[in-house]
Amino acid sequence: MDMLITIAVIVVKITCIYGGMIVIAALTTLAERKVSAWIQFRHGPNRVGPWGILQPLADGVKFIFKEELVPDSANKWMFRMAPALSAMPAMMGVAVIPFAAESPLYKDSGPLAIADLDIGVLYVLAFSGLSIYGIILGGWASNSKFSLLGAIRASAQMVSYELAMILSIMAIVVMSGSFNMTEIASLQAGPLWNWNIFSQPVAFMLFLIATFAETNRHPFDFAECEPELVGGFHTEYSSMRFALFFLGEYCAIFVMCCMTVVFFLGGFEVPFWEDAPWFIQVGAMVSKVVAFLFLFIWVRWTIPRFRFDQLMGLGWKVFLPVALVNLLITGGLVSAGIL
Amino acid sequence: MVIVKRKELSLSERLYLPEIFRGMSMTFRAMFKPAVTRQYPEEPLPTDEVTRGQPRLATNDEDGSIRCVSCGLCEAACPAYAITIDGQDTDRNAITIAGDVTEKFIEREPKEFEIDMLRCILCGFCEEACPKDAIFMSDELELADFTRKDLIYGLDKLKRPVSTLRPRIDYIYKVNERWQASSSTR
Ligand code: SF4
Ligand code: SF4
Repeated sequence: MDMLITIAVIVVKITCIYGGMIVIAALTTLAERKVSAWIQFRHGPNRVGPWGILQPLADGVKFIFKEELVPDSANKWMFRMAPALSAMPAMMGVAVIPFAAESPLYKDSGPLAIADLDIGVLYVLAFSGLSIYGIILGGWASNSKFSLLGAIRASAQMVSYELAMILSIMAIVVMSGSFNMTEIASLQAGPLWNWNIFSQPVAFMLFLIATFAETNRHPFDFAECEPELVGGFHTEYSSMRFALFFLGEYCAIFVMCCMTVVFFLGGFEVPFWEDAPWFIQVGAMVSKVVAFLFLFIWVRWTIPRFRFDQLMGLGWKVFLPVALVNLLITGGLVSAGIL
Repeated sequence: MVIVKRKELSLSERLYLPEIFRGMSMTFRAMFKPAVTRQYPEEPLPTDEVTRGQPRLATNDEDGSIRCVSCGLCEAACPAYAITIDGQDTDRNAITIAGDVTEKFIEREPKEFEIDMLRCILCGFCEEACPKDAIFMSDELELADFTRKDLIYGLDKLKRPVSTLRPRIDYIYKVNERWQASSSTR
């Protein structure tokens, strides 16, 4: 009986969290177009449904009805597999993100996360690293120079930024003494200044910028880079496969925003209000995440793309040393008992 | 040879982050400015007498008779070969431009007058060529149909009472006067 309840609880959690993520990812595409329109003095989509709210649905229908093209010279299997390989890891990451300290479903069922792993940080980092395989495979299997270039750029970029990103998170891990996402979030409960962003501003900046690179977003979107590479790794993709790449990208952005919030902005904790009821915590978490999603979009429509060598130089010559020094200082302060 | 001086960047500019924040504050402010896009079908294009829309044939207000005398000048002037005229003899009364009926007979009128709107480039040469003030550029701009055949406008679709074209006619007269005043051949 207990077993059944546990399984039921997990199924409900998965349904809610994944459903929520897909809905948010879909709405992010709408927000992307809306915000970009506002920034450029336009209206944005406003024909489908009130205020264009049903636009993602219309896009989805459009994608389904588009013809699926597979290039003649492509490696068919890999070509078909790549979008799934890119979207799946991106979506898996959300499994360890805690949305509330207590889940309301069942007593003692732990935090409102699909899996409250003790190595949650490692898990989510591993999966965000995996999603690059889909991009590389897709780019390579397309047998097109643009796709291949995009894929190679994406992988080079991923390697150089993942390091800085992980090192900046390590500072947080050292401070909290835990790899558990829920614990890291709970440790930031209480007054506002308990948030890690105030004790680790450098790590925050590094992590934030690295997430932009990690999710292939502007100003680091070299994998796509329309003016140079046509569409980068997804040049040859059409129809739902293309949509899947995009869904994956937006899910990855969502997961990255969740991570930023959990690591630096107290996750589900409401400032000055410990042990808030679960729905308040979910609201706090979601509103913080939405703010970061907005930041992602806002940055995309503001900053021009870097040059590729600038990006690599920035990653290896600036971010990595700064992250290392930051980790060193944090480690020193923690072992001295100051932090 | 042009020597372009490179602007020395200040420290805050070289740090890049402050400049990013400046740019972001700019785009943020832009978000609250009104959109300049026109919501086209609901919010039609503003037109006035200067608008050079599709050519239309003027008909006299009094009896709806067509002003065109089928002289073929517009057909000859049209650079896109969009106009096809088939004339016929007629003995109907002419109504002068001023509006007062005179007992003057006109000899010809178009039996068939076609403008292929798919060919027309809205250049306005026909309007300039016409000696009888019979063809004018209207302010009608919308052009959509399901077949090409329907877009070859015949007399039925081209006729417009002259009073609706009045602003354009006055404008054309004004422009012509200015042109004549500055003409060296006068
Ligand atoms: S506007 Fe120009 S192209 Fe059109 S019918 Fe008149 S002369 Fe021909
Ligand atoms: S130039 Fe004027 S009068 Fe002559 S055929 Fe054309 S519209 Fe008719």
